[in-house]
Amino acid sequence: MRNLGRIFIVALLLLALPGGAALAQTTDGTVSVLHGIPGDGGFPVDIYVNGDYSAPFIPGLTFGNFAGPVTLAAADYSIEIYGAGADPASTDPALGPLVVTLPAGANATIEAHLDEAGAATASVFVNDTSEIAAGNTRLTVRHTAAAPTVDILANDGVLFAGLSNPNEASGDVPAATYNAKVVPTGATEPVVFEADLALAEGTSTIVYAIGSLDGGSFTVAVQTISGLGAAPTGVPTGTAGLGSDSFPLALAIAGGMALIGLVGSGVALTRRSGR
Amino acid sequence: MASPGFFYTHKMSRRTLTLGLTISLITLMAVAAAFIGTSRSGEAGNVAAVEASLGHPVAGTTPSTATSTTAGLPLPSDDPSPSAVPIWPGRLSDARVEDAVLPVMLTVGSIDVEAPIIPTGVDARTGQMAVPRNVTDVAWYEFGPRPAESGSAVLAAHVDLANQGPGVFFHLRDVDPGDIVAVGFSDGSVRRFRVEARTIYRKDELPVDTIFAREGSPVLTLITCGGGFSESSGSYDSNVVVFAIPIPDRELGTVR
Repeated sequence: MRNLGRIFIVALLLLALPGGAALAQTTDGTVSVLHGIPGDGGFPVDIYVNGDYSAPFIPGLTFGNFAGPVTLAAADYSIEIYGAGADPASTDPALGPLVVTLPAGANATIEAHLDEAGAATASVFVNDTSEIAAGNTRLTVRHTAAAPTVDILANDGVLFAGLSNPNEASGDVPAATYNAKVVPTGATEPVVFEADLALAEGTSTIVYAIGSLDGGSFTVAVQTISGLGAAPTGVPTGTAGLGSDSFPLALAIAGGMALIGLVGSGVALTRRSGR
Repeated sequence: MASPGFFYTHKMSRRTLTLGLTISLITLMAVAAAFIGTSRSGEAGNVAAVEASLGHPVAGTTPSTATSTTAGLPLPSDDPSPSAVPIWPGRLSDARVEDAVLPVMLTVGSIDVEAPIIPTGVDARTGQMAVPRNVTDVAWYEFGPRPAESGSAVLAAHVDLANQGPGVFFHLRDVDPGDIVAVGFSDGSVRRFRVEARTIYRKDELPVDTIFAREGSPVLTLITCGGGFSESSGSYDSNVVVFAIPIPDRELGTVR
């Protein structure tokens, strides 16, 4: 509960920031929520927003599952997480209240997860929805598990090095299926997690490491954002000039001959009339 | 004293001269007409309508539809289900792709084209669409829609290659609105398309977001090179583009 108290303080600090809670903006943002805290039976929770206890905004979310995406007005939101079915009037939240800021136009993921030591915490990640060059895919890895610093290997080469909780690493790579491994940083084994990731072109794939390594609940949750791919920059389909609109050679010769004939006739006519 | 011109003798009559002049003029006009005939790569059909029917990519998170709630939270409690937030598992998708039905054969009867289709992606060095090595092959842009799916399915082929001569799309500029295009698929099925429009874009003005649109009405886009040719760079300055749309199955009843 010490960590929950810390979150509460952070929340208060966020509230105190200038332009905080009161200033709702006109533009919307997009939010997804990930449950990354392991527990009995998947630790089902109800999520309440802005102190409205009439009904959970998200009911019964369990470990490894996402809720959303929802489009919300860009603003600050107060989030409280209760054990599923708990009465908010008579019990304390399992996590929160946590005030998160949704910037205008942002695509964000709010995640309840463990810190490196295994205590419950929460993070807000802004998802990169910038355009991806044609033929490429975007892979983002977010370390939100009770586990030490790791490296991410792709096809046995280091893709992301020194990733620690609660940080993320991201890169655009050619679209393909990659063998991905999670290993202790600077090492190649033991392999903590391994999977073949089919990364689609023009799509952002976000892999969250969740759970507890020591507790045996370490796994991943995957979110994808599609429709980010750019078009190829052109279509190069000719190198000989045979199909050119330029004056074709044969026609140029024929035209030239006709011109000679024309000029010759003209000369003859001129001479004849000039006699 | 007699200094005959190249086409002139003293015996030549005025009538002969007039005849020569006329023949020369007719030849010139024929040459001009022939030239106009070969440079018919301009616009035909309603290009703007096809362009407008193609959508632009829109970002979407899994699941693909975003639930929109009213701007002000909390939600009214008497409105439970319509805006309920979707919940979905963050499981890894199976990396093994199921056997997809792919386009394998293109037929354009009006220009005697029947050519194999191979899937291609992007030339990582240039960022351009990857094109076939052979002038006899047609490339399908594998990151875009398949023919007859929503958006623009792109089939590209060479007009020519310096080391191989004229290509399978050498006569693409002769395709007219109303011509029929057929695409054969790997499962043996055939989809037919009717040409709606033909146009030519300067390469520096090629509307790639439209040509490679992944949303919008289904359009089959055939593309090759054309326009002016630069000997120094060995490339054309334009792309010839033909847009075709699927013929509804009910119209195919008599054809099958």
